[in-house]
Amino acid sequence: MHTCPRCESKKAEVVSKSPVEGAWEVYMCPVCIFTWRSIEPETITNPEKYNRAFKVNPADIPNAENVPALPAKYIK
Amino acid sequence: MAYKDFRDFLATLEKEGQLLTINDEVKPEPDIAAATKAMSKLGAETPAMLFDNIYGYTDAKVAMNVMGSWPNHALMMSLPKNTPLKDQFFEFARRYDQFPMPVQREETAPFHEVEITENINLFDILPLFRLNQGDGGFYIDKACVISRDLDDPEHFGKQNVGIYRMQVKGKDRLGIQPVPQHDIAIHLRQAEERGENLPVVIALGNEPAITTAAATPLLYDQSEYEMAGAIQGEPYRIVKAKDSDLDIPWGAEVVLEGELLAGVREFEGPFGEFTGHYSGGRSMPVIKINRVYHRQNPIFEHLYIGMPWTETDYMIGINTSVPLYHQLKEAFPNEIEAVNAMYTHGLVAIISTKRRYGGFAKAVGMRALTTPHGLGYCKLVIVVDEDVDPFNLPQVMWALSTKMHPKHDAVIIPDLSVLTLDPGSSPSGITHKMVLDATTPVAPETRGHYSQPLDSPVNVEKWEQRLRELLR
Repeated sequence: MHTCPRCESKKAEVVSKSPVEGAWEVYMCPVCIFTWRSIEPETITNPEKYNRAFKVNPADIPNAENVPALPAKYIK
Repeated sequence: MAYKDFRDFLATLEKEGQLLTINDEVKPEPDIAAATKAMSKLGAETPAMLFDNIYGYTDAKVAMNVMGSWPNHALMMSLPKNTPLKDQFFEFARRYDQFPMPVQREETAPFHEVEITENINLFDILPLFRLNQGDGGFYIDKACVISRDLDDPEHFGKQNVGIYRMQVKGKDRLGIQPVPQHDIAIHLRQAEERGENLPVVIALGNEPAITTAAATPLLYDQSEYEMAGAIQGEPYRIVKAKDSDLDIPWGAEVVLEGELLAGVREFEGPFGEFTGHYSGGRSMPVIKINRVYHRQNPIFEHLYIGMPWTETDYMIGINTSVPLYHQLKEAFPNEIEAVNAMYTHGLVAIISTKRRYGGFAKAVGMRALTTPHGLGYCKLVIVVDEDVDPFNLPQVMWALSTKMHPKHDAVIIPDLSVLTLDPGSSPSGITHKMVLDATTPVAPETRGHYSQPLDSPVNVEKWEQRLRELLR
């Protein structure tokens, strides 16, 4: 498990490894779906340095607007 | 002449000096997006780029900026690469009139070479990478997405081929942005009302005619395949999908078959958009991929999108201008000369027209606002005389400088519709719009001192043509 730089959940997992062994890994966060590569700049990979304007609070995710709107029968 | 497939077009670009292969090692981020954005900054005649030495990969190839310049746009139509923009516009308009061109059906395609139906992992199959620093992940943003009308499945024209942004959200999972105005949103709505998933096919790495047609604002029942045939002047080749009745571009490098999941919305974005701003943080539909095919050693074609101008602007410039031109021609067949709606997909448009009487040019500007594309765009319409080339911005600025009188020629219409991605709209989707009349006043509108316009030395046009041939 890895820490998501964007929403700081601890649940991110490896989704891909470089064909050349050991070059990089790609991680994905199941909470905010953020995806990143291990060798990206620290402003992408480090939760402390990730651009604050783009941080995601997991509590906000269920309130995100549906685009396009869902037909009534799917709305609980 | 039609290009057989994506590789055929790349070969032509290379022969014409319009393809730069980067053999030096690059990192997936930030190098590929940075190099592509930098290329866009070098002007309007830049080459495509092929990256074939990407850190961590053994044999990945990534093609960028494939249609990101006017020479490459001209070559898309098999015209000489130095064809002037206005001539490209008129040639595109001529071919647009050849619609519909019947398709050519094939049984097999090169992308059948490799087929994957188990343990699909898009992160392993495609050399994906981040485009902009605020993007929520790795996107696919130049692929053709194909779907059918479920209520009229036999109607070939209602089958849609469109280009939508798609976030790779899992090994076999994509997020997609079908805004309500898009044709695929109609198909999704039909499927969700039935409680069924919507079959879709995604084709990556296509020859440029279908990409151009897919990015053209056609009417709902007009076939992009029949428009691609009209653009390339030969029937467009398609092949059937295996899991659905959908038709696929024959020359694609990679094909994903799957289904849009009914009733599912999931957090998406943000993604740097063509407006030069991010959009996202909304919940959008999801596609599950069930089957992947690709050519041996596929080339991954990708598109950098961001602060204009980028490849997107070249890709949707002429093909946005021509439908607007046709719709204005329907109202004013003898007057409309040309339309340049290339700025941020037509948020700013320039129309050159003859005037029948005073006030006529303003009516032309108002008509542009009420065309189908104008309802979501055309926030600013500049109207110029028929002898001003709307694609030549210095000429347009000259017209604004000398012909426009702010007291008489600036018209603002309050609270009209605009696409919600316009970051200036408030509320989102509503904006004032403006017509600037930069035409010469004609009777009964007699004002200003316009009786002695400058003419050119004799034979300038002949010399222009001759010089162009000498420089070819």
